[in-house]
Amino acid sequence: MKSIKNLFKNETARKIVLFFNENPNCIDTARGISLWIGWDINIIQKTLNQLVKDGIITSHQTTSTAAYAYTNNKEIVKKIEKYIKSML
Amino acid sequence: MKEFEKIEKQEFLTKFSKSSSITAFRKLSSKVLKKNRCIFLDAEYKPFKCNSECDHIKFGKYLAKLKFDPSREYMVFKCSCNKICLSFPIVQGSNVYGHVLFIHLGKEPEKTAIDATKICMDLALREFQKEQELNKLYETIRPRAIALSTVHTIHRLLSSTLNMDELIERIARLILQVMRSRHCSIMLLDASKKYLIPKAVINLDKEIPKTNPQYKKIRLRLGIKLEGRVAKTGKSALSRNSVCVPLVEEDIIGVISTQDKTNDEPFNRFELEILITLAEQAVIAIKNAQMYEEQEKMAYGSIKTLAALLDAKSPNTFTHSDQFVKMVLAIAEEMRLSREDIVNLHYSALLPDTGKFNIPEEILKKPGILSTGEYDIIKKQHLESLKIIEHLEFLKPAIPIIKHHHEKYDGTGYPDGLKGIQIPIGARVMAVANAFEAMISVRPYKGSKKISISQAIKEVEKNKGTQFDPEVVDAFMKVTKKPEFENIIKASI
Repeated sequence: MKSIKNLFKNETARKIVLFFNENPNCIDTARGISLWIGWDINIIQKTLNQLVKDGIITSHQTTSTAAYAYTNNKEIVKKIEKYIKSML
Repeated sequence: MKEFEKIEKQEFLTKFSKSSSITAFRKLSSKVLKKNRCIFLDAEYKPFKCNSECDHIKFGKYLAKLKFDPSREYMVFKCSCNKICLSFPIVQGSNVYGHVLFIHLGKEPEKTAIDATKICMDLALREFQKEQELNKLYETIRPRAIALSTVHTIHRLLSSTLNMDELIERIARLILQVMRSRHCSIMLLDASKKYLIPKAVINLDKEIPKTNPQYKKIRLRLGIKLEGRVAKTGKSALSRNSVCVPLVEEDIIGVISTQDKTNDEPFNRFELEILITLAEQAVIAIKNAQMYEEQEKMAYGSIKTLAALLDAKSPNTFTHSDQFVKMVLAIAEEMRLSREDIVNLHYSALLPDTGKFNIPEEILKKPGILSTGEYDIIKKQHLESLKIIEHLEFLKPAIPIIKHHHEKYDGTGYPDGLKGIQIPIGARVMAVANAFEAMISVRPYKGSKKISISQAIKEVEKNKGTQFDPEVVDAFMKVTKKPEFENIIKASI
């Protein structure tokens, strides 16, 4: 996984991670997330795929739908929260 | 003033003094009063977040006047150094939240300038109120909209499968996600309704979180342990580390329980409500999957009855062995065909030669090569015979597979001489399994000789790309190298 600092350099990734950190119970499609964040769906989709590879976002795939949610990995969530607090 | 009232007014003033409407007010009032600095007093007349300017003002005389008449519209007064100052109350409804002060004005402001500033203040307050209302809406409606969207997404994820095992595991994973917990188990009542059978148990603490088949062997009696008690009483249970809710559809059909939050915090009532909502969605999906399973069982039952009837007429003519069915399914699984394709292929494999039904027995059992006339009869009757199963709606997708499984990949087969991918995928799979079974089985009426398994495998490979689809042959070759292959062919010989 990339360092959280590097991850946050990408504006879209930062917005997605902040959104899930604020709404950790959320499960939504790329379209839904693009609506909540107010960002282009294609960029969101591309970034979500990368975040899934990085282990920050979990994807729930079916034949017709792909939904995304925040990782359940305690350590990653802690690191992200720590970094967000340090930014404030 | 009561403590909460005081806090509320302080909060109001903090937000108002930082709002964009007060910035606009400062700009406008600076033009009217020729003074762009203003300071705030709170509702108790204490200077509010202002710097040394406040120290300069001796408020004594002024405060006395203000306290005497706090709701007065404005006040022009002189500070300790005898310079002119102007104050306005910050009023909303019947509440005075504080005062705004313009100190050290160059000259006494005219009535029109004071009125204009007062209007600016009213506008600023109105704008601020709108801002506040919008913020409140954003803070209350947005999380609900996100939650609603989550519920909708979960509904979409759950309704996209009718496979019970897949569905139950998916429900468990989604619960872990939404509840932010580490363990989840879903148990359904058995037929006797006395025991709970675990259908999915997921533990994120394990390296590869997956449903552990060991758990499926456990049976939990009603009334025993948390899950058993919830299933017996139908009442949800909430404790520090676990939440358990019943799955209710008229009667109780099972329970969902989840334990240990990822952030180690205790579960709360709000989370219990979330799990109840998820359970309501899950129970509908489970019921649909159960109904689908029942329908599938009925369909298989009907096909098996039909196969038995055909077998009674002429054994091994219209049906093949169980192992043929297993071989067909093994190739299909290896090729990762869709579940729908596999189900249709399964139906077809149970009735592979229904097309022979109307073909005269003397032709069917004739040893050696058929004449052109006999071959024409087979082609014609093959299509006629398929009408037997046409009326069974669920068998309609299987008909093209049954119809075309004698086609050859190079287009030299029958009934239509289809070529390559024109032949349905299921028919291409059946063609390979059928030829293999024919080679390793004894079919006396065909007059053909049984050959060894390795020879039959070589024969199939030899016809790759001519008689058979190369992809299907590749999958078949992989199946033959698997340990299960032994079991498939054992009884087939």
